[in-house]
Amino acid sequence: MSCANVIKKERTSVINPLVTCQPMGAMYAVTGIRRGLPLVHGAQGCSTFVRYAFARHFREPSEIAVTSLHEDAAVFGGRRNLISGIGNLAMRFKPSLIGAISTCSSEIIGDDMDGFIKVAKKEMKERMGEEEAEKVKIVPISTPSFVETHFKGYDNAIKALVDNLARDPGESNDKVNIIPGIVSPGDIREIKHILALMGIEGLFLTDISDPFDSPLRPSATEMKPFYPKGGTTVEEICDTSNSLGTISLCGYAGSGAVSLEKKYDVPAAVGPIPIGVQNTDQFLRNLKKFTGLEIPDAILDERGLLIDSMADIASRYLFGRKVAVFGDPAISSGIARFVSELGMIPSVVCTGVESPEFVEEMKKVAKESDEPVDVLIRSDLRDLETHLQENPVDLMIGHSDGRLFAKSLDIPLIRVGFPVYDRVGYHRVPVVGYNGGVNLMDRITNTVFEKCYDDNEYWKLQQ
Amino acid sequence: MRFFKGKKMQNAVKSPKNSEKSDNNGKIINSFNQPDMLQNSQPYSLIKDSSPDKASNGEIVVDHVPESIIKTLESRLDHMCIKKSEDEGGPCCNTASVPGIVTQRSCVYGGARVVLMPITDAIHLVHGPIGCASCTWDIRGSRTSGEDLYKTGFSTNLEEKDIVFGGEKKLFSTIIELNSLYQPSAIFVYSTCVVGLIGDDLKAVCREAEKVTECRVIPVQSEGFRSFNKSLGHQLACDAMLDYLIGTGEMDSKLKSEISTQPTLNIVGEFNVAGDLWAIKPLIEKMGVKVLSVLTGDSCVEDIAKAHHADLNIVQCQKSSNYLARQMEEKYGIPYLKVNFFGIDDTAKSLKIISEFFGNPEMIEKTDELIRTEIETVRSKISHYKKKLTGKRVAVYVGGNKAWSLIRAFEELGMKVIMTGTQNGLPEDYERIMETVSEGTLVVDDANSMELSRLLQKYQPDLVISGAKEKYMTHKLGIPFCDFNHDRITSFAGFKGFINFAKELDRAVSSPVWKFTPKKYQGI
Repeated sequence: MSCANVIKKERTSVINPLVTCQPMGAMYAVTGIRRGLPLVHGAQGCSTFVRYAFARHFREPSEIAVTSLHEDAAVFGGRRNLISGIGNLAMRFKPSLIGAISTCSSEIIGDDMDGFIKVAKKEMKERMGEEEAEKVKIVPISTPSFVETHFKGYDNAIKALVDNLARDPGESNDKVNIIPGIVSPGDIREIKHILALMGIEGLFLTDISDPFDSPLRPSATEMKPFYPKGGTTVEEICDTSNSLGTISLCGYAGSGAVSLEKKYDVPAAVGPIPIGVQNTDQFLRNLKKFTGLEIPDAILDERGLLIDSMADIASRYLFGRKVAVFGDPAISSGIARFVSELGMIPSVVCTGVESPEFVEEMKKVAKESDEPVDVLIRSDLRDLETHLQENPVDLMIGHSDGRLFAKSLDIPLIRVGFPVYDRVGYHRVPVVGYNGGVNLMDRITNTVFEKCYDDNEYWKLQQ
Repeated sequence: MRFFKGKKMQNAVKSPKNSEKSDNNGKIINSFNQPDMLQNSQPYSLIKDSSPDKASNGEIVVDHVPESIIKTLESRLDHMCIKKSEDEGGPCCNTASVPGIVTQRSCVYGGARVVLMPITDAIHLVHGPIGCASCTWDIRGSRTSGEDLYKTGFSTNLEEKDIVFGGEKKLFSTIIELNSLYQPSAIFVYSTCVVGLIGDDLKAVCREAEKVTECRVIPVQSEGFRSFNKSLGHQLACDAMLDYLIGTGEMDSKLKSEISTQPTLNIVGEFNVAGDLWAIKPLIEKMGVKVLSVLTGDSCVEDIAKAHHADLNIVQCQKSSNYLARQMEEKYGIPYLKVNFFGIDDTAKSLKIISEFFGNPEMIEKTDELIRTEIETVRSKISHYKKKLTGKRVAVYVGGNKAWSLIRAFEELGMKVIMTGTQNGLPEDYERIMETVSEGTLVVDDANSMELSRLLQKYQPDLVISGAKEKYMTHKLGIPFCDFNHDRITSFAGFKGFINFAKELDRAVSSPVWKFTPKKYQGI
């Protein structure tokens, strides 16, 4: 019975989408660069709505510039808008990097981004002087909104950064490149924590942990809020070719890693996201493989703490409960695997993209849990809703967009992923690593308590 | 163009392209020939009126700039002004944003969407790539007392092959599919940037689909890049209602008998964000006036279809809906009154002009009594907050209407608006702003994030009123913030709303957290 039933959406329409378009992923990636600014080559809404989405999820300011394409651009092309946009951004913000992100409109009108950027650079040199102009790197990122989803946009951005910036290899830097995927600041911090325990310096492509979770404190040197602290420096991205290896924490963002492997012999390991025991083990094995370092006791203790709490909790409270997981393909497949490690049944896992890796992961989960798993790909939230009406579950794990039907179906929703805008703090709390596993399991268990143990006669939990 | 009197403005008026942008009524003209600011501005050069102080990292220091308000791009200078005397002109407005700055503006599609989205029993179908729908479904904050179909996000999800071969077929089958799934009262079909580019004939598809489904299928030609100003989107949304909805509804006998005994009005430009409508409607009903329809907060398609039977339109958000009221006056002879239900005085005045419009002595008396008792209650309930808020200085940066409609409300709490501005202001908006603000107030048009942050750093207000995009920047500067946008969850309108408003401001301003933020930080 243990099989993954792959179900594809049959409707033409999308009802309550689970994904958004490519540029958003690219904007997220560029925000993770120190003094890096996304410049969206499109209409004003393309930046505004994404800034809004970031603001309400991360509760942080989000600086995204736009070339403000209007009707004349549709007729005559967006050449002037992009060139002057780059110039204005460079003059005013003095960024170290501008990610020039295309959209549906600019792709359709056929703007030659590479060519325009060359002209922009020339103009910048005339206006700012050669030295100042050289300080601003400009990377074109092609993200046609009508192809694939924001996950692909993120992948394209990372690949564009590596392809444009990584320089000919020199001496090894003894670092490991990490492509985190679209995760929360808390997740990146947890990965850094693991690397620190291993004694490895990580090079993140890219690192949104500080830019999207920055302190409110006086700054003596910098004009707030344009450049929050943190982020990966351009110099570091140039240096990625000298690393010991590249680990992408998710299946959908492997192109940059593959590109580094092909061009510079930097070995690549793509996915799975280190959620749960086995996936985190795999991540550590990858680190070990690239660095030759042993796993320290401190990490084995953290693993032991997770296993210890699983032993205390999993069989008594969680075993056999059905879970629906939805959202990001990497995070969802990681969570599905983790809940099956907890003895729960991930009876339906739903994502908005069509991803072979996702299906493969789910087959693995179905086999491990020895239960059938319904795998909804290229789906939307209505698909999941109708599926759950006929195949009820005990719990849902996913982002805030599922809140309305979770309520109407009376299924508790544990918020994980992007976007979470109706609860606070979830972007700070990791779900990756062994510590993330403890967090997530505690949240799941406490939700089960609230749902199933609401009788106040119990003065303690059943043993 | 009576409005632009300032010296700097004259250039703007002389340009034939600029004067095309609005007629004497301030109505936006949907023009292909938007002014090419790229030709007549020098986007690279910073203003030259002083030698900038350089901080250690090469950033230009905001303070110590004597002649200008803050350091900004030369092409942006005319967009900021300080009110000095009665006949001072407002800032230059309604021009394209400078590319590459972080504008706070949205697109035409966004403008159309916010006007129509509160219609609760309709499908709002976005014809375009997935992102346009993904980023905007269920963000309006409009509350409903019944249907909730409007909270569902619908997209045709245009993909590469649709871009190559055209999206009309997909749109048609999507409409048929959605109609059979939901049987909605209407399907609004919004066009996005790519649809304009690939040239799908939205109107023809909607017409065909309407024949098959027998449901109202209403095209909204809201391509995102049609204008730099999302106000065009408001207008296009109003056009959709005017062309396809208003005037198509029949009165049943119940409504007929009600109308024969009661004067009626439509509330235009009230979107029931956080339930604002529910604070306004009861007041009007207490006066003895029947609210025939609301455009568009908490409304149903059939109500709007009957809106042409009303005796009067009252316009709350004049930014988005003056156009609609003017058109309804022209088409159906319905007169309109501009009202404002934010603030005690303005709410009272609004109710008064409605009663005076109907001219029924009994109603006038009833209204006066209503106002008296309501004001008494409000005054007693806000006195506690007023004590704490008096003397605080406020900066307002909003979409349009609220840049002036809130100013009196703050004054009633003893607060002073020192800065106000809008993202998408039209000349008529700034005319109202300049009339309303006191001398010394800074007025700024289409401020980008860098300007906003420099202005806030320089003027150090005690409170900022704006939306989610600006909220976290404000907090990072150590300044309290109050949301007056889609994300608001408390009703601020009417007398009851004013109490909430005062409470909410107090919450923002008096929070102890501001003792620990940069402005007051003394080191540990």
